Amino acid sequence: MEELLELLKDGHARSLEMLATELGTDVDDIRRKLEYLEAIKVIRKISITPCGAEHCSECVSHAHSDTAPCKGCLPEGGFKNMGDMWEVVT
Amino acid sequence: MSSCATIALLGQPNSGKSTLFNALTGMRQHVGNWPGKTVEKKEGSFVHGGKEYKVADLPGSYSLSANSDEEVITRDFIASGAADVVCILADSSQLQRSLFMLADYAGIDAPCFLLLNMSDVAADQGKIIDAKEIEKKLGIPVIPFSATDVKSYDIFYNTLEKAVENGTKLDLSKLSKQYESIQGYREVFNLIPEGVLPGYSSMWLAVKVLEDDKVVCAKLKNAVDADTYKKIEEAKKNAKGAVATGGCKFAWIDEVLDDAVKAKKTSVSLSKLDRIYTHKVWGKTAVILTVLLGLIASFIPALPLMGVGSAVLALKAPITSALYSIGCPEFIILIIGDVVIQSFSYIFKMLGFVFGVTLVFGLLEEVGVMARISYVFDNTMGKLGLQGKSVMPFLVSFGCTMGGAAGARVIDNWGQKVLTIALAWAVPCGAAWATIPMLSSIFFGPGAVGVVAAILLTMLAHMWITAKVFGARLVKKEDRFGMIMELPPYHKPKWGALFRYVMGRTKETFFRVTKVILLVCGIFWLLSYSPNGNDGVLVKIGLAIEPVTKVFGMPWQLFLSYVASAVGKEGAIGVISALYNGGAFGTAFTEAMNGAGAATNLNEILLSNVTKPEALAFIFAMTFNMPCVVALAATYQETHSAKWTAKIVAYYTVVSLILAFIAYHIGMLIW
Repeated sequence: MEELLELLKDGHARSLEMLATELGTDVDDIRRKLEYLEAIKVIRKISITPCGAEHCSECVSHAHSDTAPCKGCLPEGGFKNMGDMWEVVT
Repeated sequence: MSSCATIALLGQPNSGKSTLFNALTGMRQHVGNWPGKTVEKKEGSFVHGGKEYKVADLPGSYSLSANSDEEVITRDFIASGAADVVCILADSSQLQRSLFMLADYAGIDAPCFLLLNMSDVAADQGKIIDAKEIEKKLGIPVIPFSATDVKSYDIFYNTLEKAVENGTKLDLSKLSKQYESIQGYREVFNLIPEGVLPGYSSMWLAVKVLEDDKVVCAKLKNAVDADTYKKIEEAKKNAKGAVATGGCKFAWIDEVLDDAVKAKKTSVSLSKLDRIYTHKVWGKTAVILTVLLGLIASFIPALPLMGVGSAVLALKAPITSALYSIGCPEFIILIIGDVVIQSFSYIFKMLGFVFGVTLVFGLLEEVGVMARISYVFDNTMGKLGLQGKSVMPFLVSFGCTMGGAAGARVIDNWGQKVLTIALAWAVPCGAAWATIPMLSSIFFGPGAVGVVAAILLTMLAHMWITAKVFGARLVKKEDRFGMIMELPPYHKPKWGALFRYVMGRTKETFFRVTKVILLVCGIFWLLSYSPNGNDGVLVKIGLAIEPVTKVFGMPWQLFLSYVASAVGKEGAIGVISALYNGGAFGTAFTEAMNGAGAATNLNEILLSNVTKPEALAFIFAMTFNMPCVVALAATYQETHSAKWTAKIVAYYTVVSLILAFIAYHIGMLIW
């Protein structure tokens, strides 16, 4: 995992397949390592929430309810196929 | 019935714990809370072979670290000795991953056995698991199992009885050897006496110290003397942490599974399309072409609504005549014609774009292409504090800034979205690109190419500076690491969901931008309105501030054209043409925005009234001014912030004037 984090220091985005190739392992191994790094908060999953709630009055009014952010922010049925993305927490 | 034993079920979420618990206990279960916590406590019992067993379904968690109440409750329960045996469940279909719980458990002093659950799923995947080999390496009973298959339960009961009877414990020697390779582990380990915290081995505690487990550290602080704890803290400072211990656990899992699991090797390969998109040389070109094709394609679904916009404008003449015929006051007629009808014409044309762009780029996202766009441009955009997807609004802005601002909705982070829109404004739109070469060729002949090149270079510099100016407030400055992406599979779009989304966005945009466009157009019209044609407030202001505007290289006629370009770039040339022909500003502006052409002798008019430095100043001022009122509305629509929209407008106004000043004075030096 130290090698994985070291690789990411160059700032380049990588797919799981690319990481697996560069580290000489398989995608399942990369996946379990990402899960662990996420659990220990070294990386975090990028959430697809297209609005910063504090900047949108409509979202703020929904902030403590179970409903989604306002329609203008969260496209219903949209952003479902962007895959998963993680970034390193510095 | 003989005395009872307690079994604790331990496993990660989705390991099949609840299925097993329900199958074992049936109706003999009850649910409560762990003392003092809101964590659910599930207990039950069953009888087998004349012996009663109590079952505790421990909360599902990824590991036994102190990340949550669930994890602390789980490990404390096991270490307390409340369970006679711990049944650890792992998902056979992904043992590499799911044995992590076992690795994290190793070192807690309690008898256990391992259930390789979902072995049927693993078999379907073509995996052959040698449970005996794993058992040999671990030193505890290991059984292939399927919690949903009643036939599996006989072997489960037999194993359970043996584990309770023999008190089988994990062989820690190989894991301990792995930990020995961690810098600082031995020092911490040596400082923790065996049995200092009942139920936990020194190895387990040392690893948790390295992982900076606050609960364990606090317990150790109370359990050892102050001097020893100080030494532990010192040793921890020089030791490697959770990344290293996790690496050891995975290495140990691999060692356990080595020769015990046989599976078809799947080579890492990319699809043909991904090989193109992720190609180091051609990837960016392929993505740019995809976006440009998408932009062109977005005009097709946009056409009907754009047609509605033109049809609305066509109503202006008959409505105006009808109002005149019934004796309506001229002021009201002008407001209806020049503000209301004109605004709704803009709005419908804009909606056409919103509909087209949202449909086409929503489709790209649906089929999985958007994720690749984000991936390919992530590094380049990262230099501006943005993410890969930001490239799309920039490219779209070459056609229409409104489309670029609307396209920024694919950016998930609000700050990055606002910054993307702010930068997209620096990209000259199609209307600007129609004006720049025309004016440049009139004044500079073949030198027009140089002007266009200067505009492009200025655009890049502008974007870079703007990113620096706004980036600090909008995007948190962090050391940039590469992003990791799991590219989604390509799949057919769900047309119903896509159209519902596009229609929802279009409807929502209509209501949101109508008020902005009506307000801005109304104010601008009022300022330019003059009952006798030539002394509107804007003209008066233009004449009054001409000494100042001349500093920026713009006489009042050019300055008013510059102001008009903020409403729509397409109006600028018409306004220049009319003003230098002696026309009224209000009429000139309205007619220009309605598509009236420039005077046929515009070349001579301009060359005889405007100097080359003034022309250069105007080209830069007009190009980098606020793109248009529709882009303004789209910016407000996407940012949901009047404050940030106003900031961007003010910034672009100031920068465009500074650029005009620089261009004018450079021009003065040259000509």
